[in-house]
Amino acid sequence: MLANLAAALFTHKSIKTTETKAKRMRPLVERLITFAKRGDLHARRRVLAVIGDKTVVHELFTEIAPLVELREGGYTRITKLGFRKGDNASMVQIELVLEPVSPKPKSAKKTAAAAAASAPAEVAVEETEPAAEEAPVESAEQAEAVEVETAEVDAEAAPVGDAK
Amino acid sequence: MAVPKRKMSRASTRARRAQWKATPPTLVKTVEGGKTTYSLPHRAKVVEDSTGAPLYMEYKGRKVADV
Repeated sequence: MLANLAAALFTHKSIKTTETKAKRMRPLVERLITFAKRGDLHARRRVLAVIGDKTVVHELFTEIAPLVELREGGYTRITKLGFRKGDNASMVQIELVLEPVSPKPKSAKKTAAAAAASAPAEVAVEETEPAAEEAPVESAEQAEAVEVETAEVDAEAAPVGDAK
Repeated sequence: MAVPKRKMSRASTRARRAQWKATPPTLVKTVEGGKTTYSLPHRAKVVEDSTGAPLYMEYKGRKVADV
């Protein structure tokens, strides 16, 4: 059944099915597309072992594979639609992601990550010196404050002790 | 075949049935043009034209499926 669903998805590019079936067929479909991207005869025979229909496999190798050439996985998209009337099953639309890859958000994240990775090394060197200068002053102030407080506490505590 | 030995009391029957409760669905509130709608999260919505006739299903600004 998963093979038939996959064949239907490659034929129509977008099919409506239940959520369970869609989630089960997703890994199979993605693997078949990976074979299609490889494109050699061995890969074609391995796909034909799952999907018997040669026309579907031909379409997969010649039309779908070039469209997802630059995409590194994530060839399918599942969108929940609602619940079927008869048995209240959650229905979804599973479709092939055939749009050209837009690496904008990905590159932004990567550059941010790269900047974050390289920046701490530079910033750390810069920060250590001011921090080293500031830290003793602060700690000294804090230490004084603590001493004053403890002295006050002692002063307050002492009369009580005397009273007893 | 296993057969109950004793009659099940009214109390235990009712105690069992009392455990079946409805749970409120988690909805998201969207205010669109002064109209508040509650809908299930992460689910495609039906887009309607001005007369209220359904056109297609939409999710995150993308047309997903026909109605």
